[in-house]
Amino acid sequence: MSSIEFQHVRKQYGHNRKAVIEDISFEVRENEFLVLVGPSGCGKTTTLRMIAGLETITAGELYIGGKLVNKLPPKERNLAMVFQNYALYPHLDVYGNLAFGLRMQKRSEEEIRRKVEEVSRILELDALLDWKPGELSGGQRQRVALGRALPVRRKSF
Amino acid sequence: MDISVKKRKKRITKALLIAGLLLFFLVNVFPFFWQVRMSFMYTIDAITMPPKLRFPPTLEYYREVLHDRMFRSAFFNTMLISLTSVLISIAVGAPFGYALSRFTSGGSFGLLVVSLIFRALPGMVFIIPYYYISMNMGLYDTPLLLILITTATNQPFTVWMLRSFFITIPKSLDEAAMVDGCSRFQAFFKTIFPIMGPGVATTAIFTFLSAYNEFMLAQALTSTQAMTLPVMVSQLTTENIRYWSVSAASSVAIALPAVLVTLVMQKYLVKGMTNGAVKE
Repeated sequence: MSSIEFQHVRKQYGHNRKAVIEDISFEVRENEFLVLVGPSGCGKTTTLRMIAGLETITAGELYIGGKLVNKLPPKERNLAMVFQNYALYPHLDVYGNLAFGLRMQKRSEEEIRRKVEEVSRILELDALLDWKPGELSGGQRQRVALGRALPVRRKSF
Repeated sequence: MDISVKKRKKRITKALLIAGLLLFFLVNVFPFFWQVRMSFMYTIDAITMPPKLRFPPTLEYYREVLHDRMFRSAFFNTMLISLTSVLISIAVGAPFGYALSRFTSGGSFGLLVVSLIFRALPGMVFIIPYYYISMNMGLYDTPLLLILITTATNQPFTVWMLRSFFITIPKSLDEAAMVDGCSRFQAFFKTIFPIMGPGVATTAIFTFLSAYNEFMLAQALTSTQAMTLPVMVSQLTTENIRYWSVSAASSVAIALPAVLVTLVMQKYLVKGMTNGAVKE
């Protein structure tokens, strides 16, 4: 795990619109948990998406593990994220969904199989490995979405 | 009592609807049916008044059409032009449509509108420049010219259609792939490409039919070498009643590939490819 640090970050969509996030600074140190709470529309998701690299940062600086990542694309940030709407890959079965991130990291099939089995045991998905997302119940989908973030030893979740 | 009145009203509406559809169907299909019927008749039976209900059927005109060298070359041209133009339009339209569905700033929408304006101009407007340019470039009466032009005229439509399709695929899918370690391109090829089948199939059918049926430009820009089926059949439609049955047989013959392609492709038009991907 590594730290995340926001320094006077500002987020604004379009030039003339009001800023979604005016000025935010905080630090999450290694092995710390952070929970963001607030009314809807206050910028929780935007903050997360900026960490993941899915939103650009209008002003200020974002550090992950002490490294400035403002311009770094998502794939180089080495994070894991569980999407609010799950965003499962509909054409892949549960195994394929859980293995996707590992495959992108070019791990060996043997290692991938071991990790996916471990995660699916924890989440009680082991009986569903060859099911497609369309065949799963809502709760099962949620567990797959969660599981997708687990097998990859990421720096931050 | 109230319920029974409602029921009756419903039934009347339904009957009217069916009657209307039936009328629409007849008006549209009857001429084609008449043509199919004529294509199996000897010319002498076909032109008799009042129309004969019973006649000795023949395949002679089909044989004549299918053995005709011109017809074969026109068929080959049409297939070559239509299929190539579908391939190019989809290959260009898929990434273009995908990009426009994901980046929705003012500029990208402007591009879409401009492409639509190009599409909105009547094809007639282009005939003289196309003719002049193709003559000067030595492309007149070649399949290549028609491939270029049908692709160009179909492209805006293909882009629009694919864009609307890509919009229905949740953005979070590509985002998840990117967080999982994909670049934008990899995200497209690994998550969007495998599930875009139905959208591409639908677009391909429409593009194919539009290219296959293209008449006006093909008429103006070809003479003999690159002649396409619609142009050839139109030339058989003369006032000389001797050719009516041949004309009918060739019209039916050129309708068949289009119907066939549509029938083959329609099984890919299944919905629900993103089933279960996101929480609604």
